[in-house]
Amino acid sequence: MSIRSKAAIVGIGETPTDRLGSKPGEPRKSSAEYLSWAMHLALADAGLTLKDFNGQGIGVTIPTAYPQPFWPEEVAEILGITPGFLLGGATGGAGSVSLLGGMSAAIASGMIDLALCIGAAAPFAEHHGDGLQPGDMRDFEIPFGTMGPNSKIAMVMRRHMHEYGTTLDHLGKIAVAGRYHASLNPAAYLRKPITIQDYKDSRLVADPVRLLDCVLPANGGKAYILASPERAKKLRKPPVCVKGFGERSNPSYGPRAGSDALVMGIKDAGKVAMEMAEIKHSDINFLQLYDDYIIVVYLQLEDLGFCAKGDLGFFERTDFTFKGQLPIQTGGGMINCGQPSTAGGTLHVLEAVRQLRGEGGDRQVPGAKTGLVSGLGVLPYGKNLGCCAVAVLGTQP
Amino acid sequence: MAEPTLKKPLPVLTSEAKPFWDAAAEQKLVMQRCQDCRAYIWTPRPACFECGSERVEWTQLSGKGQIYSFTVIRQVVGRAASEAFEPDVPYVVAWIDLDEGPRMISNVIGCPVEDVKLGMKVAVVFEQQSPEIWLPKFKPTVS
Ligand SMILES: [Zn+2]
Repeated sequence: MSIRSKAAIVGIGETPTDRLGSKPGEPRKSSAEYLSWAMHLALADAGLTLKDFNGQGIGVTIPTAYPQPFWPEEVAEILGITPGFLLGGATGGAGSVSLLGGMSAAIASGMIDLALCIGAAAPFAEHHGDGLQPGDMRDFEIPFGTMGPNSKIAMVMRRHMHEYGTTLDHLGKIAVAGRYHASLNPAAYLRKPITIQDYKDSRLVADPVRLLDCVLPANGGKAYILASPERAKKLRKPPVCVKGFGERSNPSYGPRAGSDALVMGIKDAGKVAMEMAEIKHSDINFLQLYDDYIIVVYLQLEDLGFCAKGDLGFFERTDFTFKGQLPIQTGGGMINCGQPSTAGGTLHVLEAVRQLRGEGGDRQVPGAKTGLVSGLGVLPYGKNLGCCAVAVLGTQP
Repeated sequence: MAEPTLKKPLPVLTSEAKPFWDAAAEQKLVMQRCQDCRAYIWTPRPACFECGSERVEWTQLSGKGQIYSFTVIRQVVGRAASEAFEPDVPYVVAWIDLDEGPRMISNVIGCPVEDVKLGMKVAVVFEQQSPEIWLPKFKPTVS
């Protein structure tokens, strides 16, 4: 069943990111403020008003550390909208790309013809306690002194280096390309260009994961608006078509108790999305890949099929900058622009829209017509990431 | 008198997992195994996650395996409870692939952190944390 080009992105809004609240006494903003701000930016971009969304779709990414189980409804109340279809993006960091698929399907069905997808978090400004929820993490990870996602990604990275001979030069190339793009993006947070040597010299956080491997937590809000093709035609910005979508949650490659931790569900999600969009790898002008860690970007390039697993030569010869053969992370990614919890992944959707509209400024990919966006979330007990979503966006249906 | 040390977070004895912790207290490593498709099931759950069968039984494992990957924790981060691990730094958190197939998160102990290698053969040992809880940890086996 295809939802190819049954919906289009018609508006985007992104607040600046900050780390207010990391120092005591600093003025700070709440999640509600970032939400409202992001929404108003998106409404202005699309030329729509709040009232247009009553009876329509609202999708809300659910942050990792918010104790309110009814968060999407509360967000609707914060924004002042009475939606006809309320959807929570509960796939962790993949939430914003998952919502893109879910809301496009709702629009394709004819149930709604407009949807606002939104998320915000203020991890530095709002602290929500330390309580542990039931599950593997509480009972089978933390008692052994695991230190959050860094520990698990460190094990993935070390295994990849062991199996394929991957070096810091291969991985550092991705870090350098991302930062280079951030230096050309006025909205990025970390903008000073880096070298491979800077990457190698950065502090070990969870051996072999270094500081420049890791995403930058931040406060902020992000939103995009979807519309049916008919409705999109009447709005002010050129529509960006949702050409394909695929999702895999709780993937396993091998027995569930002993999966290959170097393969991601993105492998299948990407295949589904590209088949729906009826495109080949060579049709893709840029990739915006979910980037909680550099190794995660690296694995996605393999698992999306741009090269074989362990093909180091591909990483040695490919230019990943906006001028190169395969531009990735053209705005600098979350690693350089900041990650407001699960709302962070929305950044990749927004950057894809900018590129496809030709609004990429100094980092515009020449002639960009088709781009691929991924979202990833959740690090399960013994495997790679647990929620993987891929969308193919394009200027033409 | 020494400062009381921070308490490490302990697993909760859920009904699914209690047989695992009871066996661990007797120095036995057990896991559920599906009596229909023969899959090992880890972590504990009410039914088989490969075929859906509810005919799952606890089975004793060899306790032997090898290191699939690992990280060295040199700094505690994140939640307050993490600070309880401060005195152990540096220590190894590893994915252990057991000879029977399942992968466990645990610690590699009993050797300097510099000596830990991927593929290294290890065997389970149990460390008592509380009257009920003995954590399965892994030590390199002498070859
Ligand atoms: Zn079974």
